[in-house]
Amino acid sequence: MIPQNMHSMFARPNHDEASRQNFVNDFRVHLASKVFPGTFPAYFSRVLPAFIKTQGREPKDRHEVRKVMTKDPYYQLWSAMQRSSQEMIWDSVIDSVERQLPDLLKKAKDLKGKGSLTINPDVKVPKYHDAADIHLQPGAYHTDTTEDDLAAGAVYDRGTYIYSMGGLGKENDGLGRITREFFRRQFPDKKIERVLDMGCTIGGSVTYWSTKEPGTEFHAIDVGAPCLRYGHARAKAVGGNVHFSQQNAEKTNFPDASFDLITSHILLHETSVQAIDSIFKECYRLLKPGGVMLHLDLPQVFGQNPLEGFLWEWEIYNNNEHFYGQLRELDTASVAAKAGFDPAKFKIHQVASTWEDGQTPYSNENFTFPVYLAVK
Amino acid sequence: MADDKKPVKLPRTAKGKKPIYFDSTTDKLLSMVLTLMGELSVMRDRLDTVERLAEKKGVFKLDDIENYELSEDVNKIRGERRAAYIARVLKSVQDELDALQQQGDGMNVDLPQ
Repeated sequence: MIPQNMHSMFARPNHDEASRQNFVNDFRVHLASKVFPGTFPAYFSRVLPAFIKTQGREPKDRHEVRKVMTKDPYYQLWSAMQRSSQEMIWDSVIDSVERQLPDLLKKAKDLKGKGSLTINPDVKVPKYHDAADIHLQPGAYHTDTTEDDLAAGAVYDRGTYIYSMGGLGKENDGLGRITREFFRRQFPDKKIERVLDMGCTIGGSVTYWSTKEPGTEFHAIDVGAPCLRYGHARAKAVGGNVHFSQQNAEKTNFPDASFDLITSHILLHETSVQAIDSIFKECYRLLKPGGVMLHLDLPQVFGQNPLEGFLWEWEIYNNNEHFYGQLRELDTASVAAKAGFDPAKFKIHQVASTWEDGQTPYSNENFTFPVYLAVK
Repeated sequence: MADDKKPVKLPRTAKGKKPIYFDSTTDKLLSMVLTLMGELSVMRDRLDTVERLAEKKGVFKLDDIENYELSEDVNKIRGERRAAYIARVLKSVQDELDALQQQGDGMNVDLPQ
């Protein structure tokens, strides 16, 4: 595993914990590169011919592929191992955090730096986060286990690095690098005085932005208190400057026309269709005239053949990403129009995920994130 | 504060319905095998550390293991060794993949990533 840069808030693994984490990473690399590719010949050499034999035609969509592929022994074994590997990620990380929690809590308190933190215990964790622990992180983003808890954030910082097999970059801020590079390509001269990042979790992306745009005031919101507490401490540790507050992106307490830019990084697929409606409306309300809305998320179903469409949805059925299913086919242009955005100023960009050091398994030219971009 | 109280126990199981892949028992067996596979890897890493320290100093303390810093070179060596180990344990899967590919269909399919 490519070593992750460990800032002062990082829950450093001891010898065996580090070995365990390295193993999970390497096991997942093996699954992705050596086992997963076999699902294609399994499909084309036996599943598809069997389907054609009984139906007289090819499957018409991913749902039909799903019905037959989930019965194929090769697919089942890959899928079961992939699921186990996901559970093993968290298992390999939680020990380090649990062991060092008192120390991390003290460090967070003592750390000097910029930015602020506002926790609001009245914020309710929405059903789409509480129904199941998203990507199997026990306790998810929001469970407090002690006073001023930040464990969920510390677990997330390491766990997502292993999940992405280092693809989020050594600083675990890769998505922020992608959105900033994209934004500055689109709007090279735009002045941004105030920026809001929605669903920030530990603020990896927005903290990166704050180090690159020092004249800008950055705000970041999330419903998960322990992630925000960790995010604030982490931002101080890496020299960021972000104002974190516990708020739901569907309805915030910022006044109208507060921001020049509102971003989110893989937030939408973890909310519901109704929530995305509210989030776009809230973005419209919060943006100044000429302000920019920029949501980066996971690929939609459009343009994928039935097999690809099915494979892309593994996370929905096996990794508690239940709400990603709703985003897959959502007409985001209509949602933006309904929220008030001029359809002529809304566009879905496909953004390739490469950045300067090129360190990511997602740097393959074929892999792009959709970015929903609108100007008010 | 947490340090005045009993140590905090973090949640260890994710909320949500767990899918059944084969059947409940086989799924558990697979999970046990994979966990053992991981633990053996951890053990081998630890032994590797001991061996290297012993070689370096002729004698070692337990504390030396905890403080061992993984160098870039050693990290690379361990990564390669781990990949070979994973391939060995999962050989039965590779055999099936090889057999599938030898059937011809799908061999020239463009794979994602």
